Amino acid sequence: MAQVEKRGGLLRKSSASKKPLKEKVVLMYDEIFMTEDPSKCSPRFWEELFLMKVNLEYLEGKLESLDGEELMKIKDNINCLFQHCIQALGEDHPIRVVNALQTLCALIRGVHQKNKSTSGFDIINMLMGFDKAELCMKNLMESLDSLLCAEGSESLKSLCLKLLLCLVTVTDNISQNTILEYVMINSIFEAILQILSHPPSRREHGYDAVVLLALLVNYRKYESVNPYIVKLSIVDDEATLNGMGLVIAQALSEYNRQYKDKEEEHQSGFFSALTNMVGSMFIADAHEKISVQTNEAILLALYEAVHLNRNFITVLAQSHPEMGLVTTPVSPAPTTPATPLGTTPPSSDVISSVELPLDADVQTSNLLITFLKYSSIVMQDTKDEHRLHSGKLCLIILTCIAEDQYANAFLHDDNMNFRVNLHRMPMRHRKKAADKNLPCRPLVCAVLDLMVEFIVTHMMKEFPMDLYVRCIQVVHKLLCYQKKCRVRLHYTWRELWSALINLLKFLMSNETVLLAKHNIFTLALMIVNLFNMFITYGDTFLPTPSSYDELYYEIIRMHQSFDNLYSMVLRLSTNAGQWKEAASKVTHALVNIRAIINHFNPKIESYAAVNHISQLSEEQVLEVVRANYDTLTLKLQDGLDQYERYSEQHKEAAFFKELVRSISTNVRRNLAFHTLSQEVLLKEFSTIS
Amino acid sequence: MKFSPVLLEARSLAVAMGDTVVEPAPLKPTSEPTPGPAGNNGGSLLSVITEGVGELSVIDPEVAQKACQEVLEKVKLLHGGVAISGRGSPLELVNGDGVDSEIRCLDDPPAQIREEEDEMGATVASSTAKGARRQRQNNSAKQSWLLRLFESKLFDISMAISYLYNSKEPGVQAYIGNRLFCFRDEDVDFYLPQLLNMYIHMDEDVGDAIKPYIVHRCRQSINFSLQCALLLGAYSSDMHISTQRHSRGTKLRKLILSDELKPAHRKRELPSLSPAPDTGLSPSKRTHQRSKSDATASISLSSNLKRTASNPKVENEDEPIRLAPEREFIKSLMAIGKRLATLPTKEQKTQRLISELSLLNHKLPARVWLPTAGFDHHVVRVPHTQAVVLNSKDKAPYLIYVEVLECENFDTTSVPARIPENRIRSTRSVENLPECGITHEQRAGSFSTVPNYDNDDEAWSVDDIGELQVELPEVHTNSCDNISQFSVDSITSQESKEPVFIAAGDIRRRLSEQLAHTPTAFKRDPEDPSAVALKEPWQEKVRRIREGSPYGHLPNWRLLSVIVKCGDDLRQELLAFQVLKQLQSIWEQERVPLWIKPYKILVISADSGMIEPVVNAVSIHQVKKQSQLSLLDYFLQEHGSYTTEAFLSAQRNFVQSCAGYCLVCYLLQVKDRHNGNILLDAEGHIIHIDFGFILSSSPRNLGFETSAFKLTTEFVDVMGGLDGDMFNYYKMLMLQGLIAARKHMDKVVQIVEIMQQGSQLPCFHGSSTIRNLKERFHMSMTEEQLQLLVEQMVDGSMRSITTKLYDGFQYLTNGIM
Repeated sequence: MAQVEKRGGLLRKSSASKKPLKEKVVLMYDEIFMTEDPSKCSPRFWEELFLMKVNLEYLEGKLESLDGEELMKIKDNINCLFQHCIQALGEDHPIRVVNALQTLCALIRGVHQKNKSTSGFDIINMLMGFDKAELCMKNLMESLDSLLCAEGSESLKSLCLKLLLCLVTVTDNISQNTILEYVMINSIFEAILQILSHPPSRREHGYDAVVLLALLVNYRKYESVNPYIVKLSIVDDEATLNGMGLVIAQALSEYNRQYKDKEEEHQSGFFSALTNMVGSMFIADAHEKISVQTNEAILLALYEAVHLNRNFITVLAQSHPEMGLVTTPVSPAPTTPATPLGTTPPSSDVISSVELPLDADVQTSNLLITFLKYSSIVMQDTKDEHRLHSGKLCLIILTCIAEDQYANAFLHDDNMNFRVNLHRMPMRHRKKAADKNLPCRPLVCAVLDLMVEFIVTHMMKEFPMDLYVRCIQVVHKLLCYQKKCRVRLHYTWRELWSALINLLKFLMSNETVLLAKHNIFTLALMIVNLFNMFITYGDTFLPTPSSYDELYYEIIRMHQSFDNLYSMVLRLSTNAGQWKEAASKVTHALVNIRAIINHFNPKIESYAAVNHISQLSEEQVLEVVRANYDTLTLKLQDGLDQYERYSEQHKEAAFFKELVRSISTNVRRNLAFHTLSQEVLLKEFSTIS
Repeated sequence: MKFSPVLLEARSLAVAMGDTVVEPAPLKPTSEPTPGPAGNNGGSLLSVITEGVGELSVIDPEVAQKACQEVLEKVKLLHGGVAISGRGSPLELVNGDGVDSEIRCLDDPPAQIREEEDEMGATVASSTAKGARRQRQNNSAKQSWLLRLFESKLFDISMAISYLYNSKEPGVQAYIGNRLFCFRDEDVDFYLPQLLNMYIHMDEDVGDAIKPYIVHRCRQSINFSLQCALLLGAYSSDMHISTQRHSRGTKLRKLILSDELKPAHRKRELPSLSPAPDTGLSPSKRTHQRSKSDATASISLSSNLKRTASNPKVENEDEPIRLAPEREFIKSLMAIGKRLATLPTKEQKTQRLISELSLLNHKLPARVWLPTAGFDHHVVRVPHTQAVVLNSKDKAPYLIYVEVLECENFDTTSVPARIPENRIRSTRSVENLPECGITHEQRAGSFSTVPNYDNDDEAWSVDDIGELQVELPEVHTNSCDNISQFSVDSITSQESKEPVFIAAGDIRRRLSEQLAHTPTAFKRDPEDPSAVALKEPWQEKVRRIREGSPYGHLPNWRLLSVIVKCGDDLRQELLAFQVLKQLQSIWEQERVPLWIKPYKILVISADSGMIEPVVNAVSIHQVKKQSQLSLLDYFLQEHGSYTTEAFLSAQRNFVQSCAGYCLVCYLLQVKDRHNGNILLDAEGHIIHIDFGFILSSSPRNLGFETSAFKLTTEFVDVMGGLDGDMFNYYKMLMLQGLIAARKHMDKVVQIVEIMQQGSQLPCFHGSSTIRNLKERFHMSMTEEQLQLLVEQMVDGSMRSITTKLYDGFQYLTNGIM
């Protein structure tokens, strides 16, 4: 809010000062908006223009105020201005370059705002003219590229990135932004990589560079060959990839830190106010308030890196000291203005300097841990659309990770143990787990914990079916890896089993409501098949023989749920309804679970009868189970350990289009303020140089 | 003792010989740095070696020849003009001396390396040897008794060192200095600490005698250079900074580090050499020069990682200092140790260690090596997740595993190219991919649909499918074995359309069998992270790491391990290693089946170093804590019941090693013998580690551990009790071992004695260290008396209340069981 006020203040101030005495630059702008060539009467017009401080508001406002026809009249002058801007970029004096960059920003934005409905070609024509567009854009991109790669001023580089971001986000739908076609031809990919691989420049511009890259990758992703996709997928320079990972980790952990701060702040205030009325409803309310604006842009960047680049997976496990605990990371969120020139705070930069900071309190972490923590926060609440998107994207990223060889190898690495403090939603029936007692475990345990946490906390009316399906898929993929590689993970599988059974129960009790919206049988089938995986392949990945017994115990204990499920799917598969086929699949999948229940239940009953016990203890049931394995025959089901690999192209295209659209809007909005504040920075700049 | 009469006798004779050698000395200008007599001798001597190169495979012929020529030229330049210009007689004398050395040299090699001679051009060797012998007969009149000893077949490196140390005659010293060239490199290497300590701390003549040899060897081997530089630094550290002698050791160190001792052939850049030993890893177009500069560029930690490959400037740079990458590597390992020491908990240390090593990995492969290894290699990767922090109270020693690629010659082989971390080509990764080729159609109907591969997006992200198909046959052979053991894979059920039934009992049984078959692994304990890592059988660990390594598929891939110690003085450890090694070879020579395991030590400085870990061994403390069993029960659990072959051989191993280490502990007065410092290996041997308190030093001087060695009732139980045969065998072994050691006492004492020179080490505290050591060999006792002594010591140790007390003390203070 404060930002908006500030902006308003700025506007008022400038408009107030404008009335009595027009700035020179404004007069010059006015000349451009005439139909005549301004350089006619003053031949040094353009040279002078770029020495003037840019008045963005005026220029943009003026462009907006003109209607289409009026604009067409001054097209030549605008073309001229655009060209001279590009010319000025090549000049030595930084002030000219800065002014040219800002003028370009204003031009691009102004023209677009005016012509929202018109096609991209018209806009190109308006800005540059069709005949010159290609050369013009080539020059522009080359200049930007050399500015970004040069050893020049950091604020200049920053401004270049802003201009590029402005260019990329100027339309809501990035794929409709025809100008980007030139950005595709004249790639600045290498420049972005260089920024990321250089520690000092990464500290300053890493965030913008990563966001820019993520957006560029999404330009006409599905329709044409996007060179940024191709190039990103083959990057193998470790310094660059690490740099990218570090930027993402920093942004995510900054979010985690902000959330934690807010949570703590809230809890102390909340509990002092309501000492005796700690109702669960209030806690839920309280929680909604402490949501921090999620950062989908950075998450998208993480997704693209994980999805497109195989080498990036190694970066996930790359250790770095816990982010956020280290001295002030530089502008991780776009909302904070860039650091003023010359006062760069020494931020942590682990990858480049081998000397890790000597802080005993710093717990080593890595991008994956930071991401898991972030996911645990984001997934807590999926009510609003942004968070739903974020949660979905988190699950998609996890899906990609769960499919990757190398990622699985380090997830399951027995020697890489970490304490991962996932955020857990406070709920009526459970206490908040003490953070300190968490054991150090392989990372896959944290992933499974996160999935279990998601399963138990999202059984609600607004059932996030899609997220549930993804969640179960992640678990399934991890199990497939464990089965294939004979990894015996010491995990409390019981938690997963009971979570899954509870989910089944929920599906059945809300059958009518849910069936109206979703095909609950796909989910039910996946859950049942997870159990089938444990039942038929348990010998390959369960940690102990007793864990196999426990599985049977859990199934027998909860047999009511499975019985109900069976009767439901049987009912629906015998009716000739729309769910016939889906339901009958579940019926078939249930064969082994039913065999177990039917086999052991009579045995347990007779045991109870023989020993005159009304209620058998767990140990007694396990005893019966152990004694009666041999007479039980199971059916081997097909394809339990097979899964469909994640594919973005067809199924997820719509989601990503929508996501990129919202990110674009967000970035653009933040940029508006940003470019303005740049002016403050430029004042400093002019005095320094 | 054996040689002392000869020595006394020879001393007077040596004067005569010394004179002849010293005589040409006035010829040289006084300011000349290379010692005159040595230089002269060296010259003529080396020319002989060039002749003998054919037989002496020990010295690389080419290098030796070059080195000799160099020295010869030098000598000619310096003396040639003067010598020829008229002073006939000194020249003659020099020549005469040269003949002497020639005879000796040619006479000696057959004795030294008899076995080698058999394999090689035996005819050539013997013919030259005969010729030489004839020549010697001509000169026999001049020979002294001492010379005869020096020329005899019995004269070995141990004697050479002894004479070098004891003789006060510069002539004898210079002679032996030259004689060093004739010994095998490995033999001299053993005495390197002694040689260098003498060089640093003894008078100039000894130093002058040793220096040519050291310089020669430094030119030959980069590893030797490194070891010399490190030892010179470490052994100089006890001295006062101002002393002149100090500057001698430091000067040599500087010379070595300054890279002036680069082998000559490297400067000449023989083009034929570089492609030949290429491992096939790096593209052949990469030149020798290029890869080297690349390595240093990547190892120098301050330099920017990026753009080394694309920056042409790097390639044009001068050849880097050849030891620089290695020193950088060692330095960063030490820096990690220092940083770890500041962290409070084991868990934090472990995590930090892993993350630090993962960063170190970015700089590898490079032109670096592990000096503790016995072969030439390049370090390519540190599997960082395998590293563990070892148990220590206030310091942070840690164990790392290091993947290396063996190569023929470290200097000439180019550094292997880097393979990105995620490019694992092991069966594990292949096995894990969905079997796409086979089941495409078959699975279409089933619930999990066809894997989606014909997607444009996936094309670049999943490119290992190509790899999969190439390696498919291999996978099949592998998985066939697995299928029989594990659950039937789903493929089989699809091939036959009939439903497949399995018994739940089978699944449960397989699960328990699977787990029962895995050897008794230790449980993970955050307070003792090393226990699990050390318990894992070495072969299994190698296989596992190889599978997970991007370099694992290369045939010359090897796994090494090393303990990095920071803040500990390993000079005593090195001394103990030498003594152990000497005892081992004595016992071997005397055919006493005592078993000890000396482990290699690399002294890096006075307070840091590296240790070669004993593989397949965990400390008795860890054994007891993890198993909660007595030692005997643990033996039964690990090896089987009393009568099994496995148990009996483990028991025998235990007895033999126990006897060996009891003697070591007694002779060296090894203290601080708690169970954390005694390892037990997979074959039942015990291995003592940590020789921090030996000879005159004992921990905190509390006066604990007064017994001769540590022998607890638990140990005796494993041996089968006090009345068992094995216990008698144990005592008999001790007696035999002591008698054998006594026979060769000089060889043992000499090692210690030379190291005492100029040393401030606590083990040399007081004036009676050497005397007491000699006394412990009981030279005057009869064998019966010795037997009694052994009985007494065993008895005393058994009863020793102090051992138990000390264990209790350790348990209370350090939690060691």
